Amino acid sequence: MIGLLILPAALLIILIFGTPLIRYIWLSFHASSVITGLVPIANKGANWQRLINDQRFWQDSFQTFRFAALSVSLELFIALAIALLLNQKWRGRNLVRAITLLPWALPTTVMALGWRWIFNTPYGPIELIVNLIGLDQFNILSNPNTAWLATVLGDVWKTTPFIALILLAGLQTIPQDLYEAFKLEGGSNKEALFKITIPMLKPYILLSILFRLAQAFGVFDLIQVMTGGGPAGSTESLAIYAYLNAMRFLDFGYSSTIMIGSFILIVFSSIFSIYLFNKFKNIQGYSR
Amino acid sequence: MTLILKNIGRRYGKSWVLRNLFLEIKDGECLALLGPSGCGKSTTLRLIAGLDIPDEGSIYINGRDLKNVSPSKRNIGMVFQSYALFPHLSIASNLTIGLKVRGATESEQHQKVSSILTLMKLEDLAYRKPAQLSGGQRQRVALARALLRDPEVYLLDEPMSNLDAQLRESLRPEIRSLILQGQKPVVYVTHDQQEAMAMANKIAVMQKGNVEQIGTPNELYNSPASIFVASFIGRPQINLLPPESGIIKGIRPEDIIINENGINSKIIYQEWLGSSKLIMLDTPIGELRMITSSNDQIPECPKISWDIKNEHRFELTTHKRLN
Ligand SMILES: Nc1ncnc2c1ncn2[C@@H]1O[C@H](COP(=O)(O)OP(=O)(O)OP(=O)(O)O)[C@@H](O)[C@H]1O
Ligand SMILES: [Mg+2]
Repeated sequence: MIGLLILPAALLIILIFGTPLIRYIWLSFHASSVITGLVPIANKGANWQRLINDQRFWQDSFQTFRFAALSVSLELFIALAIALLLNQKWRGRNLVRAITLLPWALPTTVMALGWRWIFNTPYGPIELIVNLIGLDQFNILSNPNTAWLATVLGDVWKTTPFIALILLAGLQTIPQDLYEAFKLEGGSNKEALFKITIPMLKPYILLSILFRLAQAFGVFDLIQVMTGGGPAGSTESLAIYAYLNAMRFLDFGYSSTIMIGSFILIVFSSIFSIYLFNKFKNIQGYSR
Repeated sequence: MTLILKNIGRRYGKSWVLRNLFLEIKDGECLALLGPSGCGKSTTLRLIAGLDIPDEGSIYINGRDLKNVSPSKRNIGMVFQSYALFPHLSIASNLTIGLKVRGATESEQHQKVSSILTLMKLEDLAYRKPAQLSGGQRQRVALARALLRDPEVYLLDEPMSNLDAQLRESLRPEIRSLILQGQKPVVYVTHDQQEAMAMANKIAVMQKGNVEQIGTPNELYNSPASIFVASFIGRPQINLLPPESGIIKGIRPEDIIINENGINSKIIYQEWLGSSKLIMLDTPIGELRMITSSNDQIPECPKISWDIKNEHRFELTTHKRLN
């Protein structure tokens, strides 16, 4: 009976999410490029063969992971600190709460342009300050060692407020009397953070990790605007590589292969990161 | 060695929820706080625990002023009215968390937990989470947590309100001996006067943030200091007669007797209470409650009276006791 009731919704979901997925998987086993006149021709997994041997794909995977891991962990830490602060009672808290959310409300393209200008050499404010102090130019966006950190900074700046909001909502579900009982048991505030707050925030933290990892793995617009994947491909993400293959090289078959390949990587690494998080908590002896 | 509350006052905004509160509880003494909802019982406990700060007055344990002692340093065993169990921890971990924080050994933790679980009849539930327990089971865990350590003071906020009558009565003597064997002051909040009389050596009857009377259960019953105490202690309620030359007389239902020379009355209804029965009488001085043995045969229109020495007399305006 219930099965019947959810049928329309289920069909819709399969139609919307399933169709493109299946289409891409199908396409990843076909050559479909300018050479074939954009007509898909089955090529017996040659795309996948190519993917496995594609240096650039693995380099981009590494860069995407690096970007996602660093930005998501930074975001979690900073967001937790902000949420804890905003959960305290102090004057002007509501105003700060509203301001904190502003970066999230800004379109990514706009704020990415902003960051590109901030990091601009030699006219951006950072280089100007560096000049004032009398140091050499940083050339942040044109140095492969620092450019990816700049993109991480942009991502952290934009999405931390959102995680802070999720964690704040979680904090507000923790009843005050638990902290009181814990104090009477002799616990300090610091112990309360690790033995009550974080374990009780666990579902909210998991939600944030999942949500943000998926988003960060698919990062496109931020990098496209800030660095275009450069310098020397050092900030190129899987999404940008797939985009290049489709839109610039017009190789839709291989582009689909990259997309399905990164999809598989994302699923596995999401599962792995949640496993790690659970393991970390068990080591600390929080759950049981 | 005592717990002393000296002239405690606490207000929220402009309204005082506690005022001029003096309490003294000696080691091994159990003081029951009894009073209607909202009279400030929980607030009193929170002040003692340090979870709330008094606006007036001081609290001392063993002569030491607690003003600048944080709650975690007060070593208090408290049952919260809301239980305050940690939802993410098993029952066993809920119980040991305080021992762990204080650095007890594994074997000590294990031994204490298993003995308290047995006492509370919770043995099978040690590895469940609080959400998997019934209300009464949760309350027993909360009680177990407060009794587990050897605190300086026990604060029990309606620790048995959610248990069925049978379990409550079977736990009473054991909890009583457990909290009293610790030779520590106990403050016991309850709505149930029977429980207060069973558990406590002293009862403080509170009303609107004031203590109306403190005394042994006997004193409160036999010489209530005010009309409020007289009506609060004793079930069924005391009969209050219409005021007469500035005096309100109170007479307990169990003190009313059948007497051929007494006043006329007529039975309105009877309530069977087991070994006794409550009879509602219509008399020229108003409706009166009377308690007799279930076996007594009472005529439809009995003549009743009472011994003058069983009368409680109160001043009409102040409601204070006169005799
Ligand atoms: N944070 C607060 N702000 C304002 N008023 C409060 C606050 N906490 C308690 N009060 C008021 O203080 C009074 C005493 O509350 P308290 O919880 O001590 O009552 P209680 O005697 O424990 O009642 P009950 O038997 O229902 O548990 C109540 O009138 C309550 O409304
Ligand atoms: Mg209360």
